[in-house]
Amino acid sequence: MTYKTRRTLTAYAFLSPAIVYFLIYFFWPIAIEFWASFRSGQPLIGDSAFVGLKNYAHILNDRLAIKAIKATLIYAIGSVVFTLVLALGLSALLVGPVRARNGIRAILFFPYIISFVISALMWRAILDPYTGLLNAALAKVGLPQQFWLVDPDTAIWTLIAVSVWKDLGYAVLIYIAAIQGIPAHLYEAARMDGARRHHLFRDITLPLLMPTTLFLAVVIMITSLQEMALPYLMTQGGPANATRLYSLHVYETAFQGLNIGYASALSFAMFMLILLITWAQFKLLHRDIRHV
Amino acid sequence: MLKSILKGSAATLIASGIMAGAASAEEIRIYFNAGHGYDTYLEVFEEFEADNPGWTVAFERYQWPDLRTKLVADFAAGNPPDLVAEPGAWVPEFAQQGLLYNLDDLAARDRAEFDYPGDWQDASVEKNTVDGSLYGVQIHLTCATLLYNVDMLKEAGYDNPPTNWAEFREIAKATTRNGVFGFAPNAVWAYSMPWVMQNGGRYYDPETGKIAFGSEAAAEGVQFLSDLIHEDRSAPVPVTGADYEGPQRLFTAGRAAMIITGPWDINPIRTGNPDLNWAVAPSLKEVEQATIQGGVSLMIPKDAQYPEQAWDLIKRLTAVDVEVATSLQYSMTMPRKSWLNDPEVQADPILGQFGACLPYSRDVTLELRQAGKYNPAIDEVLNGAIDEVLFANEPAAEVLAAAEDEANAILANE
Repeated sequence: MTYKTRRTLTAYAFLSPAIVYFLIYFFWPIAIEFWASFRSGQPLIGDSAFVGLKNYAHILNDRLAIKAIKATLIYAIGSVVFTLVLALGLSALLVGPVRARNGIRAILFFPYIISFVISALMWRAILDPYTGLLNAALAKVGLPQQFWLVDPDTAIWTLIAVSVWKDLGYAVLIYIAAIQGIPAHLYEAARMDGARRHHLFRDITLPLLMPTTLFLAVVIMITSLQEMALPYLMTQGGPANATRLYSLHVYETAFQGLNIGYASALSFAMFMLILLITWAQFKLLHRDIRHV
Repeated sequence: MLKSILKGSAATLIASGIMAGAASAEEIRIYFNAGHGYDTYLEVFEEFEADNPGWTVAFERYQWPDLRTKLVADFAAGNPPDLVAEPGAWVPEFAQQGLLYNLDDLAARDRAEFDYPGDWQDASVEKNTVDGSLYGVQIHLTCATLLYNVDMLKEAGYDNPPTNWAEFREIAKATTRNGVFGFAPNAVWAYSMPWVMQNGGRYYDPETGKIAFGSEAAAEGVQFLSDLIHEDRSAPVPVTGADYEGPQRLFTAGRAAMIITGPWDINPIRTGNPDLNWAVAPSLKEVEQATIQGGVSLMIPKDAQYPEQAWDLIKRLTAVDVEVATSLQYSMTMPRKSWLNDPEVQADPILGQFGACLPYSRDVTLELRQAGKYNPAIDEVLNGAIDEVLFANEPAAEVLAAAEDEANAILANE
């Protein structure tokens, strides 16, 4: 046995526990779900029959699924846009000579490390229209009562706000690290050429942050498209299904509706949608950036 | 030396493995609702363990949606628990899929000492019977009725609670003032059904074999509720969420004069505000006196490891003395006829009022389940429709008619 072969075999030997783990706990369930997506009845727990692509075709006629896709896209795009815009602005400020900037960074990052269950329940209590702190504060200053989570028109935007609050610190942290990694001589050269502060940001900082922006946009988009905990804990998908995000719809279809075959098809449709959106993000935002 | 140490360790490991295997072989797993871990039931488990040396009861508690998720996953994995509590609709659903243990033989065998179904109220037996066979045993039987704040009604000039919709609307308006609502509705769709049923509407019509919540009577019921919120402003827009305790919390805090709820809210109100002067009233009568019926059943999965022991626990948990003790301590209403006739139960004013609404209460989806057509997706459609009326102030007649069409399309596709 050659040295190269021995090395390869050794590497695979060390990797094998992880490979076996992923095969058993990730790829095998995915394969079973894929099989179930072509079946009606109760695949996995009872009788089922092969129905071909019928489950996939049914998605187009499922009013709740279409509504859930729309709500999920609004939620995901809203979360990405607001998180990135706010994070970019705050990080641009916080890399400068701001007093107590470390304290501010810590405060911004704190929500990210709180359990999402605690965050969701805390915000649900704060936003309660009748017993919540926020309405009590508004009443103190003479402002009208608000129905953030109760009004179908505002509920999804309220969830986006909570999501932005939670992810903002993480995005700020990544942006600050990226901004600090931009070579100082680029700014010095630009200043010597007469560039002003906003020119520096627009023509140096922003373009050089594109790889970071792409990374954050992809990560936040994927997690937002898969979001379930927030609507499940805060609104149960209501009011009037306004916050019934796609993952919650899949969960309800599978476990409350016991329509496991169709729920599997819904899951795979979402998998394809996430692939498509991620590919589009790479196409739109990817820039080959080199600085010397 | 090293060899003997290794041998000894191996022997110890094997022995402990055998012992662990033996211990787990004598564990009976039970899934229960998180709110029903009553001391009286814990005592039953202790007695079971004392009477069956070597056996332990693994009592796992979950909120209903989580319990269902876990149970479905267990069914898929072929590893269900031995005994499961369910909130009212799961017995026929799972029995029709062949996932539950048929209790006919066990019930017949033990009839002399445990009179099931003879001593159970008819409604509770009906819920647990599928194609003429018993698949579950009711442990709680409940109904939702009107609770009112006696002092608030008196302040507004009313000595008695309302008995029909017109009186209800008048009192709700009269008791509404700054920060206090005359009535606090619940966001869960089933709580709209008393209004539908009181007006002669229903969820499903067995004669036509179709969903019927788009009828004029049903729409008027939901519209009445919506008008309390959006027209009279005597009721708040209900708060959506994973729990259904919002109205109870407003009532307990003295911020709502009336709510509709079941016996599960009695203790939270008593402990939350011991000074609150409140009472229970019969359900309203418009076209008819009606309200929703709920409750919990116990079922044994077909692949349960220990069905005999699970059956033994069912008998212990639903024994009359346990029912009486549980109801007196936790204000829960029970399904056994001998419980209803118990002098202590009859003497309790709160339990008595809830007991009084059981005969005219109805399980909303029972007729559809008995027809073998139940599909939770229909509940989702109705839930969304009622939300659109209550939250977005859409006209009930149009929204419910559209929802009925959608639900009937689901039925047709079945």
